Amino acid sequence: MKFGLFYELSVPRPWTRESERTVYENALEQVKLADELGFDQVWAVEHHFLEEYSHCPAPELFLTACAMVTTRIRVGFGIVVCVPQFNHPIKIAERTAVLDILSGGRVEVGTGRSATWTELAGFNADPDDTKKSWDEFVRCLPKMWTSDKYEFEGEFWSMPRRTILPKVYQRPHPPMWVAVTSPGTELDAADRGLGSLGLTFGQFAEQEKRIAEYRRRIQLCEPVGEFVNDQVSTVNFLYCHEDEATGLKTGRRMADYFNYLATQLISVRETYPSKSYPSLGLLPQLRRQATGPDSGEQAGEGLCLGGPERVTRALKRWESVGVDRVNFLVNTAEMIPQTEVLASLRLFGREVMPAFNGRKD
Amino acid sequence: MPLFGELELDAVAPALPRLRDLDTEAWEIPKAEIVQVAYEVADGTRTLLPRALHPAIPEYVTFLVTRYPESPVGPFDLAQLRLMARAGVHPRGYVLGAVASTDAAVAALRERWGYPVVRGEIAFRRYHDRVASTVRRGGETILDIAVVDPEVIAGGDLQYIHAVTLARVDGAAQLVQVDPHYTVHRAARGRAQVGRFDAAAWNAAAVRLTTPISASASTCDTDLPRIRFVMDPQIPVVSGTKKVR
Repeated sequence: MKFGLFYELSVPRPWTRESERTVYENALEQVKLADELGFDQVWAVEHHFLEEYSHCPAPELFLTACAMVTTRIRVGFGIVVCVPQFNHPIKIAERTAVLDILSGGRVEVGTGRSATWTELAGFNADPDDTKKSWDEFVRCLPKMWTSDKYEFEGEFWSMPRRTILPKVYQRPHPPMWVAVTSPGTELDAADRGLGSLGLTFGQFAEQEKRIAEYRRRIQLCEPVGEFVNDQVSTVNFLYCHEDEATGLKTGRRMADYFNYLATQLISVRETYPSKSYPSLGLLPQLRRQATGPDSGEQAGEGLCLGGPERVTRALKRWESVGVDRVNFLVNTAEMIPQTEVLASLRLFGREVMPAFNGRKD
Repeated sequence: MPLFGELELDAVAPALPRLRDLDTEAWEIPKAEIVQVAYEVADGTRTLLPRALHPAIPEYVTFLVTRYPESPVGPFDLAQLRLMARAGVHPRGYVLGAVASTDAAVAALRERWGYPVVRGEIAFRRYHDRVASTVRRGGETILDIAVVDPEVIAGGDLQYIHAVTLARVDGAAQLVQVDPHYTVHRAARGRAQVGRFDAAAWNAAAVRLTTPISASASTCDTDLPRIRFVMDPQIPVVSGTKKVR
């Protein structure tokens, strides 16, 4: 099992001149430490207009900064929005290639389509079209990275024959992933030979079922890239403390507040009925976790909160249901002081990571 | 912490509906027809929103017009203007103003569910390319909305957000959650059109429409339910919610 960090870069009100800078600087310090401790990846979201919840609209810049202060950790787009109003596919190919070169071949490319009215309407994008444009983009990207010259005519974008430069450093190209929030999207990933980049905190039994179906389906896939990225990644909270009760209490506050901020956003489905967004996705689950029967301090056995033994136990369970990678949110809106976040990472590196070394690479 | 509403409760308290009690019985209502139009609005609506609630990001309103073909007080129509918000983590539509088509409905909606409702005339019209609704009071059109070019969608694609009203309960102002069930038989989505909106007539002078979001029309079985939760309008719902049943 591999471990990573996952960044939304949430910034609490009141916003001052320094508050956003502090969030970015703290995140970079955490990434630098994670690199030293042996974490495998750092991921950054692409979100726009999501007040407090995420001030991370340009993951390529944050990830470049990460790459420049580290030597080994991989840098992942978690995700790049594959909607033409947000990102032109040529720019995606170029930006990812440049970062792949600068990082020495450490890029991972997560893809997705946005799930909030706040963002889609902000870019004047039609929610009915996002799944289609995502599908078109993910089929083009590997060819744009690997072809000497490329031309394309599609529903959402076209280009005459050109040489797209530079080429990616990794051969044949960086691993590709799909953001999975709604049930069923993992099958879209499997059909295309893409990794499943889970962004939910689902229950073990449900995840086990979905992962098994993903594994079965990807055996029969027609990959959009040069290789099949048969990997399942999931996201989790991490707050590890010598004292179990302190770890649980502080970690739970972080998780609850993350959920609280997330539920302030306007999901597409709340305002815009569309078959393109058939489920409520992440938000209702977060609402349940923030207010439902699982919201107690002792609940949430799958969350990596508490002492090292409890965190190890939770991760063993995730490993047993088929998860290859776990990416951690380590703070929300700076509610945990930076020194404590770093201490949590060090404790995790010292007490938890050795239990997984060499198990699956 | 997300932003909160900034409503000065004292300014609206004298005009609040008075709830008879919290033992309101449910009204089951089959084959209701609903037209809903959602529209983004300009900043500045937080002064209309109780301090217990968070504004939506971005701020938006819904016009919800319902034809109830049968009820214990006979058939009636109800039009609502709702400022969309969050009660803690839950999306809710705070009812700024409402119009009902019969005196009996006005009385029942005020004293049973706390709707700030007044009497008016409400029209539903189905054209080949639109479903429209018009609300009139005192000889003036105060709302004219339409679902333009409706296309059939699955009932499951529709999500109606629960309402919250502000009313006097046992002498104190309370937010009252009104959370109907919906079994959708037919649904369509179209473009949102607002031909006329007299904001002041809906207790919403600060509301200025900016960007259309969506519009839908449906036929469904629904209810006006028993009251399950009330909330202190002045403090965050996380600490100010009381479960009635």
